[in-house]
Amino acid sequence: MGRGIRLGGGTLHVLAVSAHRSIITPPAAHSDGEARRPFRDNPQFIVVGILLFLLTLVGLLRVADRSTELAPDYLSEVVLYALSASCLTMLVVLAFVLARHIVKLWVERRHAVPFARFRAKLVAALLGMTLIPAVLVLIVGGELIRNSAERWFAAPVDDVLTSANAIAREYYRDREAVVTEYASRIAATLEDVDLSQTSVSAVRDMLAPEVTARRGGIVDVYRVVQPDAGSERIAVEPVVEIIASTAPQGHARAAAERLAEQIASGRGELLRVEPLEAGDQIVRAASVIRTGGGEIAGVVVASDPLTGVTALHARRIGGAYEAYRQLQVLRRPLAGVYLSFFLMITLMILVSATWLGVYVAKRITRPVQLLAAGAREIGAGHLDHRIQPETTDEFGSLVDAFNTMAGELSTSQHRLERSRRDLEHQNLEGDRRRRYIETILERIATGVVSIDAGGRVSTVNSAASRLLGLDRAALGQPAAMVFDREDLQPLAPVLLNARNAVGERAAQEVALARDGREIHLAVAATALPGDVGALDGTVMVVDDVTPLIRAERVSTWRDVARRLAHEIKNPLTPIQLCAERMQRHFRDAPPKARDLVDECTATIVGEVEALKELVDEFSQFARLPSPRTVPSDLNALLGETLALYDGLFRDVTFEHQFATLPTLHLDPEQVRRVVVNLVNNAADALDTAARAAINGFRGVITVATVHDAAEGVVRFLVADNGPGISPADREKLFMPYFSTKRRGSGLGLAIVRRIVIEHGGCIEVTDNTPAGTRVIVELPCHS
Amino acid sequence: MLRFRLLAGTLVLLLIAGSLHAAEVLRVTTLTRDGRVLVSFELAGAFNGEMRDTIRSGLQTTFSYDVRLRQEAAFWPDNTVASVTLEATVRYDNLTGQFKVARTLDGRVEETTILANESKVREMLTRFERVPLFSTAALKPNGAYHVHVDCDTRPRNAWFVWPWGGASASGAARFTFLP
Repeated sequence: MGRGIRLGGGTLHVLAVSAHRSIITPPAAHSDGEARRPFRDNPQFIVVGILLFLLTLVGLLRVADRSTELAPDYLSEVVLYALSASCLTMLVVLAFVLARHIVKLWVERRHAVPFARFRAKLVAALLGMTLIPAVLVLIVGGELIRNSAERWFAAPVDDVLTSANAIAREYYRDREAVVTEYASRIAATLEDVDLSQTSVSAVRDMLAPEVTARRGGIVDVYRVVQPDAGSERIAVEPVVEIIASTAPQGHARAAAERLAEQIASGRGELLRVEPLEAGDQIVRAASVIRTGGGEIAGVVVASDPLTGVTALHARRIGGAYEAYRQLQVLRRPLAGVYLSFFLMITLMILVSATWLGVYVAKRITRPVQLLAAGAREIGAGHLDHRIQPETTDEFGSLVDAFNTMAGELSTSQHRLERSRRDLEHQNLEGDRRRRYIETILERIATGVVSIDAGGRVSTVNSAASRLLGLDRAALGQPAAMVFDREDLQPLAPVLLNARNAVGERAAQEVALARDGREIHLAVAATALPGDVGALDGTVMVVDDVTPLIRAERVSTWRDVARRLAHEIKNPLTPIQLCAERMQRHFRDAPPKARDLVDECTATIVGEVEALKELVDEFSQFARLPSPRTVPSDLNALLGETLALYDGLFRDVTFEHQFATLPTLHLDPEQVRRVVVNLVNNAADALDTAARAAINGFRGVITVATVHDAAEGVVRFLVADNGPGISPADREKLFMPYFSTKRRGSGLGLAIVRRIVIEHGGCIEVTDNTPAGTRVIVELPCHS
Repeated sequence: MLRFRLLAGTLVLLLIAGSLHAAEVLRVTTLTRDGRVLVSFELAGAFNGEMRDTIRSGLQTTFSYDVRLRQEAAFWPDNTVASVTLEATVRYDNLTGQFKVARTLDGRVEETTILANESKVREMLTRFERVPLFSTAALKPNGAYHVHVDCDTRPRNAWFVWPWGGASASGAARFTFLP
């Protein structure tokens, strides 16, 4: 495939010679794959053109040299015609070459083709250098020819030739007169002879002595034959022909008979001069033989050859005179011939100069144009382009150097391209790893905060944002300012320690208040050493260890509960048995003492029962079994549980807001226990509120379910419009043995929380709107 | 508009000058008789002093007449029905003072004569009387025709020969063919 590059000399074709390489070639690249040089660049054509030019010049010189030998009318008719046509052709060619060049120049200047003005100037300079002297030579030469032509016919020559011709003409007239008189005399002699009756020998005998005496003369006698009826032509027939012994050979009898016939018919002249074979001439004079009645009886044709030196000189004089007169008559065409010679040579010089100018301009500018075009291609990034050298001169060396430079550029570009690809690959790999790390950072539960060497926060992952309450606005802010916030101030010493001990890890467990809750964080900070030992930044890792601490506490409490249950439950039975035994022992005692004993033992038994219940709860908390999950319908489970409360509380209204839920894997008994516990707590809170209210208070317990498909969880909440829970107590709600109720064991919500956690969920207590408490339980769904 | 008027005026002046320069006049008459178109024409003004000098220089001088019979056509170039070329050639002998005159029709010699009288020579060169050149067989009855005659003389006597030059004199005669 190729594309064209427009240049002053035409279109340079860019040939694709390989998948990546192309060559700028001259315009005439042919489909056969063989790059043929254009006409103007083909040395053979140039040599042939120069040879043709020289041959034409030589031909013109030959014709000019032989012009004196050629007949004037040939020169004026044929040569002048050919020269005129040639001159016009040359003019047309010159006009075409000039017009073409001017049009091309105009087009190239409009297209801002480089070197167009230079080429125009070069052509104009060469044309001007040849035009002015050529035209001057033409004008001067033309004037010289015209003046010379006038001088050819100067008066002395004209007079001499005219006089000489008059002498020769007089000689001819004398001879014509002699022959005419001779013919008339013979005709008069024969007037009395009846040519139709007289024998030929008699006529011959009559005329022979005189003919013989004339030496060289010829006499032909013709008899008129009467024409046929209806025919106007008068015919003659020969009677006798008498030829002197010295008469020249080659005499044409037919000419004499034709003359006789014309004279007999009354047409033509009586005299004529006819050529003979040897270059001589013969004078024929005719005379009519009339009868006594005046009728034409015959014709005598007397012929006298014009031979001898005098006749020869006369003919030469006549020929020279005619040649002179012809030259004089044709002086304008003859001068035109020589002028045409000049004009044609001038035009040839001009055409050659124009063509040479164009050719030289192209030869000079084409390599530069090729280089300019190649440079543009290189500049456009086509480094595999090459220029095909056309010559082996300095321009060829320049083209070779350009191609070498382009090759080196191409090699460098390929190396750069390879390096760029490697770098790009590394960047992509780096990006991929960065995205991978960012993804991990965003997904892990550990908070990560990085601080650059300038002490500004550069990275805060999602976990860190959640744990520390930092948003995106913290990015780019000075770390000192960010961690100067009141709730984050416990972290500042950790960062400070890490910066002071570069390369070592500073770790500390801190407790922060977050949304009214206390969270425990394990904070570790490490300063990153730079290449030259300077601080390159700091990375702080934050882990939420609150659940772990809670679990440890729960575990501790469970252990305590198990020991308490064991230690307390063992003496309760003997105490109860002793109290019952004392009651039986004092059954027969006086009433006053018996009443006292009954009262005391009843109190002891009652308290023991209460202690047993407490111990049972401890046991349950300590020995709560793992959930045995089965596919369950949470909405149905909630409905069944809440149905137990129908009519149980007069001043409390239950509201259900159940959404469509997927099937959950739950332990129905444990979840029911959670619901009962939460509803009981809500009812207790409403009972307290009802007692505190003056009147008209109406408690509402709302139980609702929500399916969060995006998070993959199901939430159910139990809300009341009671007095709510203070923020200080809210965190402790799930701690064992913490209760806001007077007789509560403090294990209910701890058990609830443990059940929820055992199901993989979480539980949260918030304020209800506009009043009360809202407990939200979040359970995973695996639909 | 002014430029156009100047151009048109210049063109008209050139045409008038050209017509004035053409002193040679060719008069043409036609006659149809006996199934032939007889053409008569006479070239006036051609036998001037320059022509006389040319003939008397001994140069063979030729008067060539291109005779074309054309049928007129409206809005279209006339259709040439037939054409012939008549040539009258003269050669003067300065020694004998005789003119050898020949007439040819399409290259075929029709007449050759030797004359001493220049006026007769001029007549033979420039005047043709009732020459039966064309047959009427190809003519349409009541058709409008004209005979166009172009005359040219050789040798030319000019500085430069225009290769595509026209005739030195022209003439034409219209007629309606009535069989």
